[in-house]
Amino acid sequence: MMKQPNPPHMADRLLKWFCAPHLLEEIQGDLHERFGQNVEAFGEKAARRKYYTSVIGFFRPFAIKRKKETYYSKPVNSTDMLRSYFKIAFRNLAKNKVYASINIVGLAIGLAAAMLILLYTKDEISYDQFHAQNPNIYRIVNRWTNPDGSLKNADGNTGSLPGPRFKDKIPEIEAFVRVRSDFRNIKMGTEIKSQELLYADAGFFSMFSFPLSAGNPATALQKPNSAVISEELAEKYFGTTDVLGKTLEMLEDGKPAPVLITGVSKKCPQNSTLKFDLLLPMQVSQEEIQNKENWFSFYLNTFVLVHPASDIAKVEAKMKQIYEADARDAIKLMLEKYDVKESAAYLLQPYTDIHLNTQYQASNGLSDASNPMFSYILTGISIFILLIACINFVNLTVSRSLKRAKEIGLRKVVGGDRSQLIFQFLGESFGLCFLAFALAVGLVNMILPTFNQLSNKALSFSYLLDIQLIIGYVAIFLVTSLMAGFYPAYILSGFDPVQTLYSRFTLSGKNYLQKGLLTLQFGLASFLIIATMTIYSQFNYLTNKELGYDDKNLVMVDKWRLSRNEARLFKNELLKNPDILGYAPKNGGGWGTVAKINGDTQINFSYETVDAEFLPMLKIPVIQGRNFSADFPGDSSQSVIVNESFVKKAGWKNPVGQDVRFFVGESDQVYKVIGVTKDYHYDALNQKIGSQLFTMKSQNEYGVSYIKIKPNTEQSSLAYIEKTFKKLFPVHSYSYRFKDVENLKNYESEAKWKQILLFGTLLTIFISCMGLFGLATLSAERRTKEIGIRKVLGASIGSIVQLLSTDFLKLVSFSLVVAFPLAYYATQQWLSNYPYQVPFNVWIFVLTAVATIGLVLLTVGYQSVRAALMNPVKTLKSE
Amino acid sequence: MKRIYLGEFEEIVLLTVAVLGDGAYGVSISDAIEEQTGRSASLSAVHAALHRLQEKSMLHSRMGEATAERGGRRKRLFTVTALGNRTLNEIRTVRNRMWDSISPQNFPAVSI
Repeated sequence: MMKQPNPPHMADRLLKWFCAPHLLEEIQGDLHERFGQNVEAFGEKAARRKYYTSVIGFFRPFAIKRKKETYYSKPVNSTDMLRSYFKIAFRNLAKNKVYASINIVGLAIGLAAAMLILLYTKDEISYDQFHAQNPNIYRIVNRWTNPDGSLKNADGNTGSLPGPRFKDKIPEIEAFVRVRSDFRNIKMGTEIKSQELLYADAGFFSMFSFPLSAGNPATALQKPNSAVISEELAEKYFGTTDVLGKTLEMLEDGKPAPVLITGVSKKCPQNSTLKFDLLLPMQVSQEEIQNKENWFSFYLNTFVLVHPASDIAKVEAKMKQIYEADARDAIKLMLEKYDVKESAAYLLQPYTDIHLNTQYQASNGLSDASNPMFSYILTGISIFILLIACINFVNLTVSRSLKRAKEIGLRKVVGGDRSQLIFQFLGESFGLCFLAFALAVGLVNMILPTFNQLSNKALSFSYLLDIQLIIGYVAIFLVTSLMAGFYPAYILSGFDPVQTLYSRFTLSGKNYLQKGLLTLQFGLASFLIIATMTIYSQFNYLTNKELGYDDKNLVMVDKWRLSRNEARLFKNELLKNPDILGYAPKNGGGWGTVAKINGDTQINFSYETVDAEFLPMLKIPVIQGRNFSADFPGDSSQSVIVNESFVKKAGWKNPVGQDVRFFVGESDQVYKVIGVTKDYHYDALNQKIGSQLFTMKSQNEYGVSYIKIKPNTEQSSLAYIEKTFKKLFPVHSYSYRFKDVENLKNYESEAKWKQILLFGTLLTIFISCMGLFGLATLSAERRTKEIGIRKVLGASIGSIVQLLSTDFLKLVSFSLVVAFPLAYYATQQWLSNYPYQVPFNVWIFVLTAVATIGLVLLTVGYQSVRAALMNPVKTLKSE
Repeated sequence: MKRIYLGEFEEIVLLTVAVLGDGAYGVSISDAIEEQTGRSASLSAVHAALHRLQEKSMLHSRMGEATAERGGRRKRLFTVTALGNRTLNEIRTVRNRMWDSISPQNFPAVSI
């Protein structure tokens, strides 16, 4: 028989593609029938052609339009079904209050932590972003490289020259502003107060967007004796903020030098690195600008405004050329005079980079430099917490849902389709998440003041109303809900109704996901415990380590340019009081210089100008040679004392009697080493002890007086010191500091971070245990029958508790095994940032293991014991 | 009452369905139109008209038995509904009344 000709395949395919499925059968049928007729009437070829045209003829709206699914797609949106979902969800929550509260509270805490961190990091990043001229504001910084090409140091400070020189010769640089901080004395009635202030060029307010509440920003700093004062400070000095045109009584070298207030500024934003209360115009004399040697003094910040379209690398290249041409003579001079072989390069640092930069220091009016490490650690902790809270949610929902298998089976049997079930369970998870979110907002509101105190910030809740943050929170909300809800929704809806409704169906399975998540959770928690304990012990080590000298009952009083005579006078007056045990002057601030030893070798060191009393009073032992002494009148012009580190660096076998040559001007001054002191921590413990040299050289000025007082006489001694100071130096401001308090201040930020970390870790452990508690409850519930049978057959309570706890213990032990090496590696990495590290302590690990396992036993044990004590008659009675 | 409008082609299709009785489906309708009016009606045009008539509730349809010449595909069989019937009758009445009211002297163009 001849083969029946078929309609063209392509045309059929085309039809199938565009034609609505419910019409396809009849249309295709008619077409095929007609094709058969045509084959007979016109032959196959023509029939095929006609077939094509007919198919194309059906390209009409009625044939293309898909029929709406009318049968049973409505329930997802119908109010009846929604009501049912709500009812079931509430019943489920009400029936399992423990589980519900663990889920919601856990998530809320996790979310609150994440929100706080988001606030914190946003604030860190937002530093200095409020200036309208961003991103065109740059700071001129410089890098010093050794002759061998290695980096010697990076300096954020510049001198008075780079600003004007670069602006004159580089067209891309549109403006420059130099800023320097200083202290000046201000007379308020009869009192003299020392006030920190900034000197700045007249263009300050056109470069930076600090609003003035009174005065003209363009002209406020133009006249020499003008000043801009903050509202806060005006309130303090004048009792009002309406101070425009008033005079502030300032003192310069003890003589009155009044300034006219030409502007009142609003409080500097919290997230500004530049903060000022009093701003005076910077005055740079013409000679200073002409003197090329000033390329080698660094004492202020230079900010420049760069044209938006310019290439920073090109500008930096031009800066290099100009510096090398302009400073050529000075560079040569420095090489001859001081043997400065290092070369400098001037670079531009974006203004907004300053806050989180650890390379170029933020000083001279810039404050609040922050280490990005803290942001990373915090973000890490918050992610951990959020992750653990989500893991709880997933774990608990999955376990919980096993009990809802029957509900799912029934829903499927009466026609619920999978998408509906996914909708229901995702919806539930979104609902719970929303509850948690609301709770979290409340929590954040409550915790914020404490958090501000801990993190040294002034974050406010209104920050949360920022559009970016809201997007961030919504993202967190969505991700958390999906992460927490999607897996259970997906797994649950996949259950086979026949199996779930068959009463002996158990969903125990292997549960790899749940076990994996639990392991991960406890791994994270133990990792955090170890990290916190390490950081804690390191910080404790820093604050408690022997400094090598006695900082107790030591008062420091600043007096700028304290001459030898003044010091003697002050000492004699003070020692008249029996409560004052000793007095020793020292140079103010930290000096450093360079000298030659062993012939021509250069050595850098901290340069301390003291007197003979200083070392004995601070109980710094002299281990070789002798201390300065009044018996040797030549000590102040011929002798120095060095510390052990100096000796080590110099490589001396017999340090006493060695020469140290200072090259000042043309002639070298030679000093002999007469003694060696034991190393002591003259700087904070996060700095390595460097070489130190003590001198009594009479040209060096003292700046601070160390006064040793009798213990427990603080009040009377301080009053006496103040009275004496004011009598002797009436035009100077008086302030005192306790050395031990000041030493502690070095670790203020560490102490704060210690608290935040501890807080975070406690939270993590708490949430983990909450989750474990929930899981233990569920597992005990699921096995009630098994436990009943075991008890009937004679199992003891102990063996049942063991049975229920072993699973969890195994998992947690495994997580410890995984977490320990990682934690060890991470903490050692972190510790290597510190020159003085707390020694590795195996007890931290042992303690972590014991604590974790103890907590697990406690959490699981409670449930296990409860389950084991149940009366088997009750559990076995009902089927 | 709003009168339901029928296009000329729709009217022919509706009439054809009525003529064919039980065996009215796409191909048979198309064939019958060609036979009755001498003009060819493409399948797609017929289907579109059937679709519209069904939306206007003048036609009722059901799926028929599978047949071999259509590769086992079923036919959709159409029948005229009561509304369709009444509409056809109305159209016919209106036309008849209009024919009747044409005066004989106006007839010359028409040759009977």
